[in-house]
Amino acid sequence: MAGKPIKVLLAKKKIDVHGRGSKLIARELRDAGMEVVYFRFGTVDDIVNAAVQEDVDVVGVSIMTSGQLHIAEKLMPKLKAAGMDDVLVIFGGTIPPVDFEPLEKLGVDRVFPAGLPGGVVAEYIRNNVGTPSPA
Amino acid sequence: MSDSTHSGRFDQALRAWEKGRERYKDKLRPGTTLSGIPLKTVYTPDDVKALDLDEMPGVYPYTRGLYPDGYALTPWMQQMVFGYGTVEETRKKMERMVAEGMEGYFGHNVFNVVYDIPCMYGIDADHPEAEGNLGQCGVHMSTGDDYDELIRGWKLEHTNISMITGDNCLPALALLVAAAERRGESSTSLRGNSMNWYPRIAVQDIPSWEPKWGYALMVDLIRWAAEHAPAWNSTNIFMYGLSEAGAKPVQELAYGLAWGKSVIDAGLEAGLDPDTFVGRLGFQIGCTQNVFEEVAKFRAHRRMWAKLCKDAGCKKPASMHARVHVHTNGYILTQQQVLNNNARITLQALAAVLGGVQSIHTCSYDEATSIPTEESHRVALRTQQILMWESGVRDVADPLAGSYYVEALTDALEAKAWEIFNEIEAKGGYRKGLETGEIKRAIDNSSYEMKQNINSGKQVVVGLNKFKSDSLDKVEPFRVDMAIEDKARKRLESYKAKRDQTAVDAALEKVARACQALKDGSGTLMPALVDAARAGATNGEMMVPMRAAFGWFVSE
Repeated sequence: MAGKPIKVLLAKKKIDVHGRGSKLIARELRDAGMEVVYFRFGTVDDIVNAAVQEDVDVVGVSIMTSGQLHIAEKLMPKLKAAGMDDVLVIFGGTIPPVDFEPLEKLGVDRVFPAGLPGGVVAEYIRNNVGTPSPA
Repeated sequence: MSDSTHSGRFDQALRAWEKGRERYKDKLRPGTTLSGIPLKTVYTPDDVKALDLDEMPGVYPYTRGLYPDGYALTPWMQQMVFGYGTVEETRKKMERMVAEGMEGYFGHNVFNVVYDIPCMYGIDADHPEAEGNLGQCGVHMSTGDDYDELIRGWKLEHTNISMITGDNCLPALALLVAAAERRGESSTSLRGNSMNWYPRIAVQDIPSWEPKWGYALMVDLIRWAAEHAPAWNSTNIFMYGLSEAGAKPVQELAYGLAWGKSVIDAGLEAGLDPDTFVGRLGFQIGCTQNVFEEVAKFRAHRRMWAKLCKDAGCKKPASMHARVHVHTNGYILTQQQVLNNNARITLQALAAVLGGVQSIHTCSYDEATSIPTEESHRVALRTQQILMWESGVRDVADPLAGSYYVEALTDALEAKAWEIFNEIEAKGGYRKGLETGEIKRAIDNSSYEMKQNINSGKQVVVGLNKFKSDSLDKVEPFRVDMAIEDKARKRLESYKAKRDQTAVDAALEKVARACQALKDGSGTLMPALVDAARAGATNGEMMVPMRAAFGWFVSE
C-alpha cells in the first residue's frame, strides 16, 4: 500500500446539523495520513454510490441522531451487491453500547464510542483494511 | 487600586500570606480557564476594580441580573427539551412533564419542543430522505392536525411554546398561528419562541439558505411578530450551537454577541425601530465545566448585551435585557461511565443558577448514547428542582457578586470577548464571517485543539482519559418504535385527503410570489405563509417554493 493512502468515505446525514464529531474524526484520520472523503448522505443508496464512485477502502458512518441499526441493515447488503465485498465498514458516534453487537452481527466490522482519540480508529483501520471480514 | 487603599490589617495579612507560601510557591502551576484565561491561586481586593462594586441587580448594565430580587419573585423556568414520535406521543409527554412539576414563570406551562430532523430540514414524512429519521430525535409535526393537537386544551396566554425548528422556522410559526385561529384565538394570544436562528449556519453541518436571504427571512419573521404577536419571542441567538460546535466560552460570548448585533443591524437596515423588536430577541447559551468561568460568562454577557442595545438606540430597559435560556452543554457528556454525567449536569446547572439565567434545560445523563429515557429525563428535571427547592442557591440574587475572583474573571472575560468581537466587527461583522467561513474555521480549530488536549490528557475528562474502565456501561436506551414512520405517513396521507387541494395549490402559488416579493424588496412572506397554513399546506410543502427562491448554501 506504500505511496497510496488509505481512502475513507466518512458519511454523515445530510439533514443533521450536528457535525463536530464527524469533522473531528475526518481531521484526525487525515492527520494519520489517510485520504478522507467527507460525505453528507440523504439515503443509504447515496452512501453506496459514493463508496463505489470514490473506490474507497473504508466506509465510516458517523451517527448523531440515531438510525444506526436501520442504516446498517440496508447498507451492508447493498455494499455487497455493489461489489464492495472487501470494504471495511465502521460506525461511530452517539450509539448506545447495547447496539454495538447487533451492528457487528449485521456485518459492520467495528463500532467506536464517541470521544476516543482518532489515532485509535486510524490504528484499527490500518490493521484491518483490505483483509476479509470474519464470517 | 493603589496600595494606599489597603488597610493596615490587609497589608499585614498579605505579608503573612507571602511568608506562608514562600517555600512551595515556585512549584505551583496555577490553572487556566477553558477559554485560556490564566488564573492566580488567590484573588484579593487588588483584582477588583472599584466600578465592579457599584452595581445593583435589575439596574443597567444588569451584570448582577435582570431583576431587582433575582429569583425571589419567581424562580427560573424549567424548560426541558423534549419531543419524539408523532404529535400524539409528544402530547402525552407534555402532559407528563406538567404533572412532574415542570413550570415557567408564575406557574405557566413551558414546552420546549424539538422537531425531528426531517421537519427542521423541511421535508414531510413521505419524502425518501425522511426515512429512518421520522420522530427519532424530535417530534414530527407537519400538518394543521398536528398543530391542533399540540395546543389542544392549553390556555395560550399561560403557555409558552418554544418551537425548536430549523429552516422550517417561518412555516412552523404560520402553522401555529393557523391552529390558534381555528380555536377562535388570534396570534396576539401566542406566547413562546421562534428559533429564527439562521446565523447558526456559520457552524452547522447542513445546507441552509443563501446568507443574503437567510437574513431577509429572519427579519421577515421579526417584523411580522412585532406587528401580529407582540408577546412572541421572535428570535433566539443560539450561542449554545457555537459552543457545541467547539467554541470556547469566550468565543461563544464574543461570536454570540456579534451574532446578536448582526440581527439588530439587519432589523435597523429594514427600518425597524429597535424598541419594537430588540426586547423580543433572546439567547440560548451553553454551560460547560468550569463553574466560575461560566458564572462570569453569564454576568459579562448581560452587561455587554445591554451596552450593545443601548448603542443601537434602544431606550426601553426591557429592550436591553439579555434574557438567557441555558442548555447545559452536551459535548462534555461521556459514554464512558455514563452515570458520571449526572455530576457534570448538576455542576452545569448550578453555574447557570449562580449566573442568574432565566431558564434552564438540563441534559439527561444518557444523552451521550441516545435520546433520554423517561427515568433519565426525570432525573434531569429533578436536578433542577433540587437546586430550586432544596439547595438554597436561589435565595439571594447574584450571590457571587463582590467575590474578588468572580468579579475579576467577569472583567477578564469581558475584555477578551470585546477584543474578539471588535476583530469580527472590523472585518465586516458576524454576517461577513459567516459568508467567508471565518467563524466556522475559528470554531472548528478550537474544537480540534480541545480534542488534542483531551487525547493527550492535558484536559482531564474523568472516565474517558483518566480513571478509565475496561468496558462501556450497557444502558438500555430509549427507542422510538419504527412503527412511528408508518403512523406519521398515514397521518399525513389522511390530512391531505380531507383538504381542498385547489385552495392549497393556490396558496402555495401565492407563497412562491411572496418569496419573489421578499427578494426584490416589494413585499413580505409571513402573511402568505399564514394564508397557506390556513388553507392546509404542510411544513414540507411550504418549504418547496422557499427553497426554490432562497437557494441552498453549505458553509464548508
